[in-house]
Amino acid sequence: MKILAIDTSCDETSCAITDGRKVVSNVIYSQILIHSKWGGVVPSLAKRAHEEKIDYVVNECLRKYRDPIETIDYFAVTQGPGLAIALEVGIKKIKQLSLQYNKQLIPVNHLEGHLYSSFVQNSKGNPKQSFMFPYLGIIISGGHTEIVRIKDHVSYETLGETIDDAAGEAIDKAAKMLGLGYPGGPVVERLAREVKNREIYHFPRPMIKNQSLNFSFSGLKTSLYYFLKEMNENKKLSQLKDIASSYQEAIFDTLITKTEKAMKETGISRLIVGGGVIANMRLRRLFRGLVNTYEGEVLFPPYSYLTGDNAAMIGVAAYYKAKKNIFVKNLTQLDRIPRFPLPKYYL
Amino acid sequence: MKILHLNNKAIEEAKKVLKNGELVIFPSDTVYAALVDATSSQAVNKLIAFKNRPPGKPISFFVSNFKMMKDYVKMDSKQNALIHTILPGPFTVILKANKKVVSGLESEKGAVGIRIPHYDPVLRLVEKMNRPITATSANLSGRSPHYSIKTLLQELPKIKKDMIDLIVDAGHLPRNKPSTVIDLTSSSFKTLRQGDMKMKNNETFISRGTRETEKIAQFIFNKTLVQGTDKPLIYILEGEMGVGKTIFVKGVGALLDINNIISPTFVVSYEYTVHKEGVNKLIHCDFFNIEDEEEFEYLGFEHNLKPRTIFFIEWGERGGKLKALLQKRAKVIYIKMKYKKDNIREISLNL
Repeated sequence: MKILAIDTSCDETSCAITDGRKVVSNVIYSQILIHSKWGGVVPSLAKRAHEEKIDYVVNECLRKYRDPIETIDYFAVTQGPGLAIALEVGIKKIKQLSLQYNKQLIPVNHLEGHLYSSFVQNSKGNPKQSFMFPYLGIIISGGHTEIVRIKDHVSYETLGETIDDAAGEAIDKAAKMLGLGYPGGPVVERLAREVKNREIYHFPRPMIKNQSLNFSFSGLKTSLYYFLKEMNENKKLSQLKDIASSYQEAIFDTLITKTEKAMKETGISRLIVGGGVIANMRLRRLFRGLVNTYEGEVLFPPYSYLTGDNAAMIGVAAYYKAKKNIFVKNLTQLDRIPRFPLPKYYL
Repeated sequence: MKILHLNNKAIEEAKKVLKNGELVIFPSDTVYAALVDATSSQAVNKLIAFKNRPPGKPISFFVSNFKMMKDYVKMDSKQNALIHTILPGPFTVILKANKKVVSGLESEKGAVGIRIPHYDPVLRLVEKMNRPITATSANLSGRSPHYSIKTLLQELPKIKKDMIDLIVDAGHLPRNKPSTVIDLTSSSFKTLRQGDMKMKNNETFISRGTRETEKIAQFIFNKTLVQGTDKPLIYILEGEMGVGKTIFVKGVGALLDINNIISPTFVVSYEYTVHKEGVNKLIHCDFFNIEDEEEFEYLGFEHNLKPRTIFFIEWGERGGKLKALLQKRAKVIYIKMKYKKDNIREISLNL
């Protein structure tokens, strides 16, 4: 089953053509994986101008695909969550394509994409990981922090989420406070690794004793603010690596502790972890350590572009939705949903 | 194309070749790098052609010490201190370039990427050259970097191989990641000052925790909400990171039956549909990640400036360019939040 999918939920304009779990063609217009805004030809302002890029991205994706667009079975698009004006661009484009080529359209929640990102295969069908439901899905990115029970394909239940800042955002903001620029994730990871991820300073683990599986990271920001305020510039600089490392550990420990709690509550020991923050090798190691204790397993996105926002994972999620007959019934009514919780299809 | 094993002689040879304006493949602390003399535009153009790099895309370069670095970039004392703590190391530092930098290395905004690697052969070569050399990875643009000469040569078409004059082979490099980029160029844009908004009254509240911040937000909202007006209402929230701006909006959200407000920093703006108090829509923005004033033009602000719409704009003071638009088309309320101590915050309302 061939699907052309578009994702314009935030910074990236992306289009992919998938065949089942295989990515046949994939175009992402952004430099965020490589160099952030500096490395791009595109200044960051243009990143939000999806309108200027969407036609190019879709055409380029079709060019790489080589076969005519008529050979594609369905179209798919991210409906939310995300930036309203960005989502609108992708939806408008896919509506136009659906009308023009008379194809059915599959609506996808961006979070579903992240949940399926660990199962995305390259064009040769690798890696060959098979599904073994149920899973706990953990999404950790700049915009999201979620724990989801996945009972079967397209069957989700959100168990916990952030009530304020996302984990990735908390790291970005700390980097900014430390004068390290944006995005903060890769820099903080590297500085922390240089002191072997040790934790000399103790930052709070917000809501860790709370009964719920929800997260809160905004208080952590505040604690860093006060911590830095009491330090003079020289001390701050000489302790930079240790501050970065300790702060990162506080966030990661919170993520691991809440995940462990969810594992105990649900009895599920197989995890799939998606989202930009899981590009961090330290966090991957911590998750591997966690599942080892429970004789479970953990899956991560197999290729680095899959941790970020991309249309390939949307296409793969759409494939399983198409198999369950989830299509847009009335094209004119399809609209973006900026704060879109995971839909409860088959609970 | 000559291939030499890494040793003193090879470094000496690399120096000669580079001085002639030619291209050298050389090992580094991260991946194999494509080196040219970074002070020669001709050599830099050769590198751009080799890499298939789109014009306008910047190219970082190696220097051997901080003194050499200072010749090419502008930095303040704070940036200088920070750089000393992380370099030498596997980082590329982005700073504003000065005039000495050869065109082709800079980004469109006049920034350059500089490396002082923790890797003796490169440092020695730069020192022998007594000038910077480019530090870009030896792969073609958009391809994976190389840890061995063998895989590099497998990937390169003949026409590209012919562009290389010397390869210095250090065998398989340890699989270190490419350098991490740290962008230290700070954005410079006009900040909207409170005074610009012609405020008439102000009132100050003290909050002793998040609950109280929410309560104060609700009080302020009730007090300032005007029903039946033909203008949208805009709350500009100013205050340092972690002071509780999102908490403030959550407080108002609770009043309007919106219980899923989270920080919009990452996506810049979230919208919520409302059916209460004569309000149709709540738009929660955060300008924290806005780097350039022109970005505002892409936010679709204008088309949302409608009656029965309420905006909360965190870091709204950064929206300098929006000032005229907001003044004319909306009712603006300015909220300033300040750290006092521990959980105590001062919240002032300016009408």
